[in-house]
Amino acid sequence: MLVKLFATLIEFTGKRKLEISGPKTVGELLDELDRMFPGFKKELEQGHIILVNGKNIEHLQGLDTPLREDDTISIFPPAGGG
Amino acid sequence: MYGNWGRFLRVNLSTGEVKVEEYGEELAKKWLGSRGLAIYLLLKEMDPKADPLGPENKLIIAPGPLSGTSAPTGGRYNVVTKSPQTGFITMSNSGGYFGAELKFAGWDAIVVEGQSEKPVYIYIKDDHVEIRDASHLWGKVVSETEAAIKKEIGSNKLHIASIGPAGENLVKFAAIINDGHRAAGRAGVGAVMGSKKLKAIAVEGSKRVPIADRQKFMLVVREKINKLRNDPVAGGGLPKYGTAVLVNIINENGLYPTRNFQTGVFEHAYEQSGEAMTAKYLIRNQPCYACPIGCGRVNKLPTVGVTEGPEYESIWALGANLGINDLASIIEANHQCDEFGLDTISTGGTLAAAMELYEKGYLTDEELGDAPPFRWGNTEVLHYYIEKIAKREGLGDKLAEGSYRFAEMYGHPEYSMSVKKLELPAYDPRGAEGHGLGYATNNRGGCHIKNYMISPEILGYPYKMDPHDISDDKVKMLILFQDLSAVIDAAGLCLFTTFGLGADDYRDMLNAALGWDFSTEDYLKIGERIWNAERLFNLKAGFDPAKDETLPKRFLEEPMPEGPNKGHVVRLKEMLPRYYALRGWTEDGRIPKEKAEELGIAEFL
Repeated sequence: MLVKLFATLIEFTGKRKLEISGPKTVGELLDELDRMFPGFKKELEQGHIILVNGKNIEHLQGLDTPLREDDTISIFPPAGGG
Repeated sequence: MYGNWGRFLRVNLSTGEVKVEEYGEELAKKWLGSRGLAIYLLLKEMDPKADPLGPENKLIIAPGPLSGTSAPTGGRYNVVTKSPQTGFITMSNSGGYFGAELKFAGWDAIVVEGQSEKPVYIYIKDDHVEIRDASHLWGKVVSETEAAIKKEIGSNKLHIASIGPAGENLVKFAAIINDGHRAAGRAGVGAVMGSKKLKAIAVEGSKRVPIADRQKFMLVVREKINKLRNDPVAGGGLPKYGTAVLVNIINENGLYPTRNFQTGVFEHAYEQSGEAMTAKYLIRNQPCYACPIGCGRVNKLPTVGVTEGPEYESIWALGANLGINDLASIIEANHQCDEFGLDTISTGGTLAAAMELYEKGYLTDEELGDAPPFRWGNTEVLHYYIEKIAKREGLGDKLAEGSYRFAEMYGHPEYSMSVKKLELPAYDPRGAEGHGLGYATNNRGGCHIKNYMISPEILGYPYKMDPHDISDDKVKMLILFQDLSAVIDAAGLCLFTTFGLGADDYRDMLNAALGWDFSTEDYLKIGERIWNAERLFNLKAGFDPAKDETLPKRFLEEPMPEGPNKGHVVRLKEMLPRYYALRGWTEDGRIPKEKAEELGIAEFL
């Protein structure tokens, strides 16, 4: 699956995009990212926007949202503007 | 009276008369100030049917009770007038330092009336007010105008709001620019100023805004500043990346309008994002007066040197909406718009309509001659046409009328992505339907600022709402946003404080500053009064809800072609009747006598 990172998460990991294989849910994906980049989940403690194929997991199944190998997951720290 | 001075300036440019007028606290308690005070004065004093570019239209420039105080972001002011672009009310808002300086000079508002025969500017130093000749400034861009006035007056402490050539030439979407790069941008307020031959207002003040309980206010302010600093958006994303942090978020959510809203996904979004701008061009942040957030950007380019901006909206309008991905060209174009005094959203929206008309074959090479062709992604269009629009030269004269009138000239107004003839900002409503209802019902037309439903629908503030939910909860949230935004504008604060503060926080600051004991509901009632009063002005100006309260056909009939919102349209017809009912209006969208009486505005019916 394609994982796209944005804003401070790029600085934290040094990556904008990465291919990951294996996680069956968004929660498992975050665990994997935390294993690859220790402290990753802490970066999202104050809030986050996580999209699976452009759809916010808040309106899917949250961290239990199932993932397939051809999915695109976009992860943002909290953000706003206008 | 505290917070407000209880007095405003009335400057008649037809007669040259300058008057000081006072008002009492009862009026402030009803309208708060700024946007509220201004709509009250316009309803009381002018015919809403007046020609917006005629002497009967009034231009009201007004900071709020918290402008010029230490309240976080207390540097805002509003320009309220009848728009030449929409024919309805507009309340264009700006930051920087000008609004605070006007408060330091001891004024709650300047009401500009009539029309001068020759170019003039107004110079204010505390109680000293002078109308001065500006013939030598006519034709100058904003930076030249500001420098010349500072030199002439002999003061670098001046803060100046002025128009560029676009305002002078009555471009329908001309802006008023203050402090070099801050814009009261939307709906042609610069053209109203130009129609009065008013080139600039230069202000210098030395007074301290009166506060009811200074110590209490200081403690309240400190608490709110800490809230903002600790908020991950107001204290994190916004200062680090500016408003352009939104580019990727809105694009990934599939509502980043691309090529005149033909789709909601732009393949080059990252190249024009806040992340890219920070890495490539950013020198430092530029906060407005008393702002702990500091979302403003200062960028450096080899071509234009050091410049401020662009904001998210401007990047999109001069970028993805035209199929343009070159960030350097976008930053240069934004700089040009500031210098000529043009609203970036409407400039981009008008050029985008021209591009679609060209794509469809209605605007031809024959008409363009040697001018750059309106092909998607052609950066030459930016550099060439921005100046042509401001000077009304060649095709620029037609484009200066805005996208709706321009597309109408070619027989296809449906290619204008506008509401009430005001070009829409950077969110495709097919990806946020509550935001779409906000566009349709906004008192000044295609505007995101007065009802920013992107917050709950996309960003999750104050909590996440499904962008395709159109239940009563969504409609109620929109109404709350519209009323609360009116309160924040009327207070003289920036809407970005809503990333970190809630309605109770504004109550705390206002009560401490003004010495009142209002509840949050009392303030929201003021917001509701302002919203209804503005609508009343529009209804009297000829606004027809059945005809004008709508969205471009594209959003109602053409499903989004791709991305996460594929297949969606805006279900406006399902939402509008419930919006009217929850507003307490009639089924045809008018304000009944009982509602007007409840809000204390029946005298204006």
